[in-house]
Amino acid sequence: MTKTTALIFGHNKYSHEIVRNVKDKYSNIRLFSLDENNKTENLPELEYFDLSDKWTEIQKSVDIKNSMAFCVLEDTAENIFLTISLRSNFKDLTIIAISSNKESANKLLMAGANKVIPLTETTSDIITNMLEKPISHKVLHDILYEESNLKIAQVQIGEESEFKDEQLTSIDWTRYNGIVVLSVMHEDMKSEFIYSSKAKHHIIKPGDVLIVVGFEKDIQNFENKIRSRRYVNWSHWSW
Amino acid sequence: MFKRWILDFAYYLDTSKSYQRRKRFFYNILENDKNKYKKYVDLFMILLIFISVGVLIREVKHHVNDELMFFSNYVISFIFFIEYMLRLWVSSSVSEIIVARAEHDTFLLRDVNLAKAFKEVIKVKLQYIFSVKAIIDLLAIMPFFHELRLLRIFILFRVFKLLRYAKSVQTLSSVLATKKFEFLTLSIFASVVIFVSSVLIYVMEGNNPDSPVNTLFEAVYWSIVTIATVGYGDIVPVTQEGRFVAIVVIMAGIAVLAFTTSLFVSAFTEKLDEIKEIKTIEGISKLKKFYLICGYENVSREVSRKLSAHANEIIIIDEDPLRVERAKKDGYRALNYNPGNVESYDKLNINFDKQVKAVLCLRENDVENVYAALTIRSFNKNIFIMSLLINDSNRKKLEFAGINTVVYPQELVGLITKELIGKPVAFEVIHELRSENSDVQIDELGITERIVENFPTVGDLENSRFRVVLLGVYKTANDRFYFNPLDDTLLEVGDYLLVVGYQVFIKEFEKYLHTRAIND
Repeated sequence: MTKTTALIFGHNKYSHEIVRNVKDKYSNIRLFSLDENNKTENLPELEYFDLSDKWTEIQKSVDIKNSMAFCVLEDTAENIFLTISLRSNFKDLTIIAISSNKESANKLLMAGANKVIPLTETTSDIITNMLEKPISHKVLHDILYEESNLKIAQVQIGEESEFKDEQLTSIDWTRYNGIVVLSVMHEDMKSEFIYSSKAKHHIIKPGDVLIVVGFEKDIQNFENKIRSRRYVNWSHWSW
Repeated sequence: MFKRWILDFAYYLDTSKSYQRRKRFFYNILENDKNKYKKYVDLFMILLIFISVGVLIREVKHHVNDELMFFSNYVISFIFFIEYMLRLWVSSSVSEIIVARAEHDTFLLRDVNLAKAFKEVIKVKLQYIFSVKAIIDLLAIMPFFHELRLLRIFILFRVFKLLRYAKSVQTLSSVLATKKFEFLTLSIFASVVIFVSSVLIYVMEGNNPDSPVNTLFEAVYWSIVTIATVGYGDIVPVTQEGRFVAIVVIMAGIAVLAFTTSLFVSAFTEKLDEIKEIKTIEGISKLKKFYLICGYENVSREVSRKLSAHANEIIIIDEDPLRVERAKKDGYRALNYNPGNVESYDKLNINFDKQVKAVLCLRENDVENVYAALTIRSFNKNIFIMSLLINDSNRKKLEFAGINTVVYPQELVGLITKELIGKPVAFEVIHELRSENSDVQIDELGITERIVENFPTVGDLENSRFRVVLLGVYKTANDRFYFNPLDDTLLEVGDYLLVVGYQVFIKEFEKYLHTRAIND
């Protein structure tokens, strides 16, 4: 299910980048700032909040279940406080936060963030991959950020799928369907690499989610074949 | 006429490429520590020294056969003589001095004064001849005249030649040289104490028939043994006055020893950082390939860790001593050099094109990164430079400074959030493939001639048998990635297979690709 509202807390270069990238995906984007003197250019109207807020206004005006919050305050302590404040008020809100390092990432997760983007680690991962595995970096980057025709998608196995009740590894996904299946996510909400010992003996059931890479047309054909559709689930984040 | 001939010859030598090349060759193997052949020449010389010292020791109580004696006395001495002459030759350039004088005089519209030129040549050559190293070299040749028994002891001067070849001894002498004044003071103090105590003990004991001190030499010997706190006990004062002198000398001896020890310690403590730096630079010049990282802050620290984990050598330079200290504590080769200063790279003495894989400007400050990149670009146009970008408005400046790839963390946040919205699990999968902490990894396997011979097409690879997913083939020839290629796709040398799987299975698969021919 796609979220409809983006709540972005923090008025800085991170929030600018987030707005730029997600404005086409949300029907409603709300940008909040701690500083009342801030002004916006080419951005949604700025709203103000303070950390002791009880969020009653948001509670009334926003469908929390269909919203996603981005906590991007530059001060780590404030960002953690904001996250804990949002989580204590909104149990169902999906919260994404940024952190400068691993230590604050752990604190943010403890404070209730669903996903934390550790800036230092992510940046250094990108740099290392660019240097050490330039080809795979480029291919993954193109797949992930849709700069080529290759796409990555989450596809759910339908009730009438022809693969139902078959062993996962017994099917030659790559040759037969023109797509590459990287992993499968089953009922325990953990995704498993297709050749992991757990996934190896997995019998395909309706409801399983396959993470596939392929060209858009091939993915569509594959979806039709397994009687499925693109699938988004927010309740899990781990591999 | 003779003058003209000398000048022509000097100009000829000064401009002759083959002569200069030969001279440079001998200079490099004898004097240039960075030359890869010098160490072999040094080792050869060290071997000759040990052979001649070994012969000297054996000769004391045994007969040494004539061939070995001939080798030690004549062959080794001749080799040392050749070495001495070569060193004298390369120490300075006679032709250059004559040419410089000729140019100088011609410019001033005077007759060329060759006498002055030769005076200069003699001065320069004598300067070398009377240097400590050259004197030791010369003395080491002396055993050539071994018939003079006294000159045989000069073989031991060959041991002193070892100093020339042992770098640590050179470091030690350079460290001690910094305390020249203190050592001079110490030696004056010690000499005065030895002189006074020797005279005193001689005066007090010399006339006593029971005393072992009978000559001034014995008195000096006793003083030195006492001051050094060795105290053999073969010579001891027997009179009351003599023993009183002994008490004073013992106390003075303690002072001299303490002074000497503290001098050594302080000289080394003060020079320790410098010595370490020299050692680090020596280590760097021996590295084949490494990443040069300018700046050591948060991102740089993580990048260093990850690159090191992939068995890469990294060198960090930073102008801030605290950050350099932190890098050293983290176990990296780090130097307190300013990345924005050409001199820093001169000191490093590295070959950028051959040794440096890439330069990473990772200061969390655009101004510093631009400055460092421009500095490097000013003397090297080809090296790959990657930089962090902190403020997007500076992107053009970084690109203008010659940075090849810019990494903008804020942009990454935007892109990541965009992906997280649409396909969180898929994003996680890709993210994990990139992360070094994950068991499942993406890897690039290069196609070699051997692999092509045994696996001509994609269908022959049998990757699924190794539980490895083949994502695609990257064709270097046309710089294209072929996703999920058909079985009959031909593999070519230089292509890369992009595979996904557990690290251990990828390794197995890679091993299989390389060794199949042997197994079959």
